Amino acid sequence: MPETDKPLLAHLFRRAGFGATFQELDRYSQIGYEAAVDELLHPEQQPPIEEDVLERYYIDWKESRNIEGALTESVYRMNAYAGKRPLQEKVALFWHQVFATGLAKVLHEKTMLNQIDLFRQHGLGNFRDLLVNLAKDPAMIFWLDNNFNQKDALNENWGRELLELFSMGVGMDGQENYSEEDVKNAARAFTGWTIDDDNVASIPFGKTPWLFRYVPEDHDEDEKTFMGHTGNFNGEDIIDIIVQQPATARFLSRHLYNFFVADEPQVAAWQRTTPGNLDAIKILEKEYFRSGYDLRSMLSVLFNSDFFKSDQARFAKVKSPAEVVVGTLHLLGDFQFPKRGIFEVALGCRYMGQDLLNPPSVEGWHTGEEWIDSGSLVERVNFVADQVSDIHQPGVRSMVDELLGRAAELDPVTIIDGCLELLGHVRLHDKNKDHLAGEVRCMLEQRSSLTAGSPEDQQAAERTVLHTMKMIGSSREYQFA
Amino acid sequence: MTAEIEHPISQQRFYRYHDVIGLLSAAGPGFSGPVSVITGPDGNLWVANRANPNQPEAVRITRCTKDGDFIEHFGEWGEEPGQFTWVTSIAFSPEGELFLADENTHRITVFDSNNDYVRCFGKHGNGPSEFDRPSGLAFAPDGSLYVVDTLNHRVQALTSSGEFKSQWGSFGDGEGQFNMPWGIAIDSADNVYITDWRNDRVQKFDASGKFLLAFGSSGDAEGQFNRPNGIAVDSEGDIYVCDWMNDRVQIFDQAGSLKDVLIGHSGMSKWGRTFLDANPEIERKLALAVQNIEIKERFYRPVSVHVDSAGKVFVADCYRHRVQIYQKL
Repeated sequence: MPETDKPLLAHLFRRAGFGATFQELDRYSQIGYEAAVDELLHPEQQPPIEEDVLERYYIDWKESRNIEGALTESVYRMNAYAGKRPLQEKVALFWHQVFATGLAKVLHEKTMLNQIDLFRQHGLGNFRDLLVNLAKDPAMIFWLDNNFNQKDALNENWGRELLELFSMGVGMDGQENYSEEDVKNAARAFTGWTIDDDNVASIPFGKTPWLFRYVPEDHDEDEKTFMGHTGNFNGEDIIDIIVQQPATARFLSRHLYNFFVADEPQVAAWQRTTPGNLDAIKILEKEYFRSGYDLRSMLSVLFNSDFFKSDQARFAKVKSPAEVVVGTLHLLGDFQFPKRGIFEVALGCRYMGQDLLNPPSVEGWHTGEEWIDSGSLVERVNFVADQVSDIHQPGVRSMVDELLGRAAELDPVTIIDGCLELLGHVRLHDKNKDHLAGEVRCMLEQRSSLTAGSPEDQQAAERTVLHTMKMIGSSREYQFA
Repeated sequence: MTAEIEHPISQQRFYRYHDVIGLLSAAGPGFSGPVSVITGPDGNLWVANRANPNQPEAVRITRCTKDGDFIEHFGEWGEEPGQFTWVTSIAFSPEGELFLADENTHRITVFDSNNDYVRCFGKHGNGPSEFDRPSGLAFAPDGSLYVVDTLNHRVQALTSSGEFKSQWGSFGDGEGQFNMPWGIAIDSADNVYITDWRNDRVQKFDASGKFLLAFGSSGDAEGQFNRPNGIAVDSEGDIYVCDWMNDRVQIFDQAGSLKDVLIGHSGMSKWGRTFLDANPEIERKLALAVQNIEIKERFYRPVSVHVDSAGKVFVADCYRHRVQIYQKL
């Protein structure tokens, strides 16, 4: 018997995507939870967005020449895929957070967008392959100076971050995971891994793509010792050794848990803090090795696990700004076809504290409750409240019609419960729900009846529903995934 | 003695690369996403720049000589009358007024010979003289304005003041139907050529909209298209089609048979040379991109093609912010 619980499906899509509309939840409840997970894990089986139409209208995006253009394109794509390939986009966002690379230094927007495409293509594949592709990614090479890493002039930046931030972490269970010698020898193995071009000039004819280039004469061919192994290692050999480490399994599992299940402490604290749910981490570590480092398999285990599906996990994570913006756009059904205005909407991510493609450092953004400060909270509340009460948005229109079509009598409980459900099975604390019920009751009592079908009643009913949705969108609870 | 530079010849040897005009710039000499190139009544080139919403000052019309000397630029970004945001094409009327299609405001805006705003017409809709993302513009010899009404999948013929005269087309892939048409050209016999963008073909009609011919199919083989847009017809009846996502311009005879292909052979422009002479460090860096040398010469999303009376072919090489010029031999 397939699991058809809509609140559970809504939880799945908040985490594995950017939320689901009530129509989407209807569809997924027909096929059941496990089938929905399977569909999420195979985005390649869903249709792509219409790239020609996108390029036709957003002519400037193909060769995005400034950070705002790149940011806008990213948000547009996330929204366009939110109903088709949500996990592909969510995983790309995940890797962008883990392998944080930024335009503050890279200054080549298309090259940054190519890196995000890499995450779309390989983000659900084999972790070893992902790391190899990352090591050859021009944005990453430039970001961490591997283009200056030569056999006679070592630059350890990439080698260090590969171990510290991208695979093993500094330590686990209070122990160090690697030594300074390991860092140095990893860096030596990646000498000669560079890019074709270090120019950042867009003049005279626009920027041309940065391309990976291996320069054998710049590669250190001498013997190296890394994590207890000795040989004439090249970069791929180092990654082969890295992916075999228990520390890598731990680090990756903890990242997946932190992003998809529940907020963990910030990464810098992981050496000395035990995972919040060690049993869950062990399950993911086991799957990492069993599957041969396969990310899709790990996520399959994660999404089908009791620890993910548990009531305790629901609404336990603070939404990232990208989740707030894209999740709201998806709910509204907005920007399903290119039009002007996406730029202004996309900037919402920046104003809420997540300047996509431009993280504050190689450590990415601090997540969880650190997303929230007084300024960003106001931005979040205003953004959502304005959007979900706009009756001209197709998604809002359909939610209102759905709710008004359900009940002949509009009492506060019907309205509030209906809005909570349609907005994605949001939960309000009892106190807030009581407060909202009082407000809705006041609105209803301004009229003698909302049961008849007169135009005035219809308008009053719409206003009441829209106001209720606005209040829910403004709530503290809506900021949690 | 200076050796004469032998300019590249096209595949079938009907065209020789001649020159390039361009430089990525939001002001003064330069273009930013050129989407439409035409010869004006003054004999100079007029180029519409699409640019992007993050750089509204770059949304403008640039005027320059065909030798690449900058004359002026004008235009103002916005949605008020006289302003424009998503420019798709420009065309001159027989009276010398400049018409500009804006697919954001769904309007046609008219400027006089002093570049001053005169009037605009059109609004969002699917009725007569209404538009849903207008794109290609062309004037018939009798002064009728033809507008490609992209999302209404039709062509409208209007007076120069915007009054409705006739229309043809509907959504579909049959004869006379369209799927998001884009470009338009009119030959000396008043025949109308439309690039049927999402059907990957060109359709030819007489002046009344009667279907005459279609050629092209989806693909990247010779004679096939991947979203054709800009189109032009020269005085000998040869048809030039920007094969947008195949990054080439294909040339056909009147029967729709392929004659030649242009792929782009850009050298350095006069404006670019001036910039690099002042910034030698950038030229040194550009030379480091050894894997990109050929890429830099080729078309990258050509959007508009125009042939003048001297047989010069001007291609708006949109993502490279330049106009490449070929000479018909």
